[in-house]
Amino acid sequence: MKTSSKYLVIAALLLSSIANKTTAQDSTQTEKNQKILMALPGNTKMLLTGVAWFGFHANMNDTIKTNVKNSFNTYGFSPMFLWKLSDKMFFESEIEINNGEMELEYAKISYKLNKFMTVGAGRMLTPFGAYGERWEPVHIEKFPNSHLRPNDDLLPDDTHLYWGAIMGIDVRGGIPLGSAKMNYSMFVSNGPLLSKDENGRPTGVVQYENLLDENNNNKEVGGRIGILPFSNSSLEIGFSGKHGLAGDIGDTVYENIGATATAVDFSYLKSIEAIKSTISFRGQYNTLTVDKANYYLTDSTTYTFDNTMKNYYAQFSIRPSMAHGKCIKKTELMFRYSSMALPKDAIWCPKDKNGKGGIITRMDIGLCYWLNWRSGLRFAYEITTMPDGTKQNQLLALLAVGL
Amino acid sequence: MKKITLLFIPIAAVISVAITLNGCVASQTVTAKSGTQLWGENCGRCHNSPSSSDFSGAQWEVIGTHMKLRANLTEDETNKIIAFFKSAQ
Repeated sequence: MKTSSKYLVIAALLLSSIANKTTAQDSTQTEKNQKILMALPGNTKMLLTGVAWFGFHANMNDTIKTNVKNSFNTYGFSPMFLWKLSDKMFFESEIEINNGEMELEYAKISYKLNKFMTVGAGRMLTPFGAYGERWEPVHIEKFPNSHLRPNDDLLPDDTHLYWGAIMGIDVRGGIPLGSAKMNYSMFVSNGPLLSKDENGRPTGVVQYENLLDENNNNKEVGGRIGILPFSNSSLEIGFSGKHGLAGDIGDTVYENIGATATAVDFSYLKSIEAIKSTISFRGQYNTLTVDKANYYLTDSTTYTFDNTMKNYYAQFSIRPSMAHGKCIKKTELMFRYSSMALPKDAIWCPKDKNGKGGIITRMDIGLCYWLNWRSGLRFAYEITTMPDGTKQNQLLALLAVGL
Repeated sequence: MKKITLLFIPIAAVISVAITLNGCVASQTVTAKSGTQLWGENCGRCHNSPSSSDFSGAQWEVIGTHMKLRANLTEDETNKIIAFFKSAQ
């Protein structure tokens, strides 16, 4: 719209509102005018926010003298753009620049159908479990790093099972249920992919962040239901599920290989006057089952295995938020335990001393000093135990600043 | 396709039953809650509760809509929390 036309519309709206005589009419007309004004370019409500971070780590049990034991190992900046285009339409996007690599985290347009349902489309955070959408952002995560999860630190490929983004559409909303309430999100997206080795052969690992390279006509469907049974919203329990075919179209061997994932998440928050503190529990349990198939060993012979993975974490934190001391009320102590059971017979699964695959566990003890509600200086001592019993101990620090 | 159906049927059933039985109505205890109370109860579930002075009134409208979508807050909760932030400017 030309600038002159824009001013004419604004002038007409102002005159129109002056012309109205009754108070009720004034109110109604003003609301209408505001809606029209908001629809004009440059008048939508927009917010630029985000987070920046800088981190350090030190290996505590590496005995090889030539190895680098400590370094400033991570930095990043993640601007978030939010536009309220009208009462019904909303756009949100985030760009993440992590250790020099830039990626669009999400870009999603949402439209409110009614007060119980909003439909969204685009690249969006995975609506599976609570971790990926709600607890992963750097300014929200209390520890310097994430818990143990099925990523390329331990597997041939990142799974993005319950974090990262999907391409698709979703519907979501919150529903009051008397003194309780529930929320839901259901999505349809490009499906998962079977990750391939250097020879282009599937390994059995499933990769979920399939944004544009859809490999078959099957779409993944899934969702989450959250139940908040108490009127003070202190407890939320979420149940998630998703299913899709992961094989390439036309690949007669793998075409119908399906992947089914489930998750249960929980969070509980309580302020306790007696100890002048706020306590928080949260965690998530995930399973991934991939249909059985034959995969290749390095010598081109095939083998099969029970392709099921289980991964969970639970964390507890306590913050003396009602204490009198200025510093102590900004300090939060945390404990986190995470575990991952990979398919024990897969050739890519870390093995124990007897050559069998096993369980990897991680324990973190941490402290966060909150500089403000979304900025904090975080420390953690982390012990990761591999299936063969070897331990990797790390000291981590991270400064996260909400913008 | 069978697994897809098996996933969606329980989700759709729970939502339908909940809506039918309760008519999507909050109890008097919940309806009577102020924006201040809802701010304290809901924001802290994922992150520290912000102060109203952190953003302007117009910005709180944007953030409120963003949080409604991210945390699946109810319409009434969202409106009351935004109104609280605006009134406390």
